[in-house]
Amino acid sequence: MANLEASHLSKRFGDTHAVVDVSFAVEPGEIFGLLGPNGAGKTTTIRMLLDIFRPDAGAVRIFGGEMNQEKKHRIGYMPEERGLYKDLKLEPTLVYLAALKGMEEAAARARLGPWLERFDLAEHRTKKVQELSKGMQQKAQIIATLIHDPDLVVIDEPFSGLDPVSTRLVKQIFEEQRQAGKSILMSTHQMYQVEALCDRIVLIDEGRTVLYGPVAEIKHNFAGNAVVVEGQGDFTRIPGVMETRRQNGTWHMALEIGTDPQAVLRSLAAREDLRIERFELEEPSLDDIFIQTVQEKRPRTAG
Amino acid sequence: MRNLWLIAKHEYLNTVTRRGFLLLLAAVPLGIVALVGMGIFVESMSRDTTPIGYVDQAGFLDARLHATLPDAAERIQIRSFVDEEAARAALEQGQIQAYYVFPPDYLSSLQTEVYYLQDEPSGDARQDLEEFVRVNLVSSYPAEVQERLLEGPSVTVHDVASNRTFSENEIANIILPFVATFLFFFATMSSAGYMLGVVASEKENRTVEVMMTSVTPEQLIGGKTLGLLAASLSQLAAYLVVGIIGVRVAAAYVPELQQIQMPWGYLGVMALFFFPSYALITGVMVALGAAVTNMEQGQQAAGLLNLLFVLPLFILPVLFSNPGHPLIVAFTLFPTTSFLTISLRWGLGTVPWWQIGLSWALLVATATLSIWAAARVFRAGMLRYGKPLNLKAVVAAVRG
Repeated sequence: MANLEASHLSKRFGDTHAVVDVSFAVEPGEIFGLLGPNGAGKTTTIRMLLDIFRPDAGAVRIFGGEMNQEKKHRIGYMPEERGLYKDLKLEPTLVYLAALKGMEEAAARARLGPWLERFDLAEHRTKKVQELSKGMQQKAQIIATLIHDPDLVVIDEPFSGLDPVSTRLVKQIFEEQRQAGKSILMSTHQMYQVEALCDRIVLIDEGRTVLYGPVAEIKHNFAGNAVVVEGQGDFTRIPGVMETRRQNGTWHMALEIGTDPQAVLRSLAAREDLRIERFELEEPSLDDIFIQTVQEKRPRTAG
Repeated sequence: MRNLWLIAKHEYLNTVTRRGFLLLLAAVPLGIVALVGMGIFVESMSRDTTPIGYVDQAGFLDARLHATLPDAAERIQIRSFVDEEAARAALEQGQIQAYYVFPPDYLSSLQTEVYYLQDEPSGDARQDLEEFVRVNLVSSYPAEVQERLLEGPSVTVHDVASNRTFSENEIANIILPFVATFLFFFATMSSAGYMLGVVASEKENRTVEVMMTSVTPEQLIGGKTLGLLAASLSQLAAYLVVGIIGVRVAAAYVPELQQIQMPWGYLGVMALFFFPSYALITGVMVALGAAVTNMEQGQQAAGLLNLLFVLPLFILPVLFSNPGHPLIVAFTLFPTTSFLTISLRWGLGTVPWWQIGLSWALLVATATLSIWAAARVFRAGMLRYGKPLNLKAVVAAVRG
């Protein structure tokens, strides 16, 4: 059973269609990427998932049913805009937010200590939130999201404002959460982080789903128009190859439309003057896929 | 329910430990104590206990009657002089602070002359001499007539409709509702200001989005309202305690205060109006806080809205001269002005029960509507960061 299922969600504000027929599911033990350019409808989608907005059409199922107070306690949410009481001290703020998630205050205080230590915030616990740096506030917000040990974490731009050390720590924590069977829905513009962390993604643009599926499968589907070859000999002027360039000793070949990479491999293997050490389909980065998809607005679904 | 109390507790503790709240809490009683203390100090400094003298050329004053005055031993000593020369000599030697000359035709003219060096005779001296003269003037009448003449008339109005009595001699009991009115009102308006602040800052801080994944809008607003109401009641309780102690202490110096009785009827009616008035103001401030983009914008609009609640203060002359004026009755019934108008009218006379009942019913209905509408505006406006809700959007939100 998926921890979160969005089914044909639609939402409009006045004449603007913010989200149109968006569907996806987030399984236990996976990190799921919700991607899209600015204004694509990601935040509206998240707000509908969390019952902050009611969808005009479609349905959301959380832990197999409708949202209720008990289920809210099993969710951790970190919005893109940091939301902590700026004029309150750090520790009481985090304890208060944890208490609203169903924890007893004493238990929240006990659990908070190790989190503050881990994020290097222990010595700042009595400071007011507004006295903390942007990165510290981001770390505090992550603690507020995770302290009650939620089964579903919805997190918007988790790495914003974090230094490399803190970024690595957050990634490590996400990995721990995944291994513990939690679901993480992550929205970010940092594609390399998505590539490194996410099992599956959904890409929405202008409120509509344009890509949905496992990261590896999406990359594989976008591969095929190019191959990477390493070996001995001159790999230029190969039939079916539109363009060849050599980079750091590796040959990158752009194939003509309709050319089967297997035909190219057979052609290379038949040549006596060439020795092939590596031949593989060149997969584009998620960044390339994101830009290509959004620019071309080419509806395409994988998986 | 647990979240409602958690929010209420958080809001209460957060409010009552704020420096501004504590300063305000201390400032009002301290201000009153300072004013009362200053009055007592000035009074004691200006009190001149030097005897006062008189020359009775009309031959109607009997010095022995001074002893019949209440608290005669504590009064300023009054000395009789046979002629003006003797009185003047005593004045110049500082034995008396002034002397009065009652001419031979005093009983027909009722004209007298007072002589002093630099400072006029003190108020106590003048009052004691006047009472001494009065007791002499009525000495030939029977005792009960003397008492009636000396104490003057005592008019008590009994309103058969409300069954409430109103005596003009109980000055302190008239003043008390005015003082209490301002304290009640001050506490209500200040907590309304806090409410605007917490809603606007919740939105400004972006905390509302996180809160909405833990609690419902009703729990959030309800909890904040309860917390601020508790803070407001704490403020009032502190004022009440300080007020009671202040009156007890001041009564030792100001005899009129000794006859103050706790105006339970007034307090009961005000409590009845306080809660719906509080709910009405809270609803207005929640809607305003949700509609604006920041605290500064909210305060500007709140200033205008507050006018709706303080309008009775602008028609005080009408209120004093004619408490039953149709305009005053209209203000009594209008929900935003009823609390202040009824409170002020209580000190000036009687308010018919039908007006109190109708006014309360209208207030409760409006307050309920206000909270209901505020929850809708809050839902619509809470996540519109940087974009205020215009009137059209507010109306649309209320209409659902």
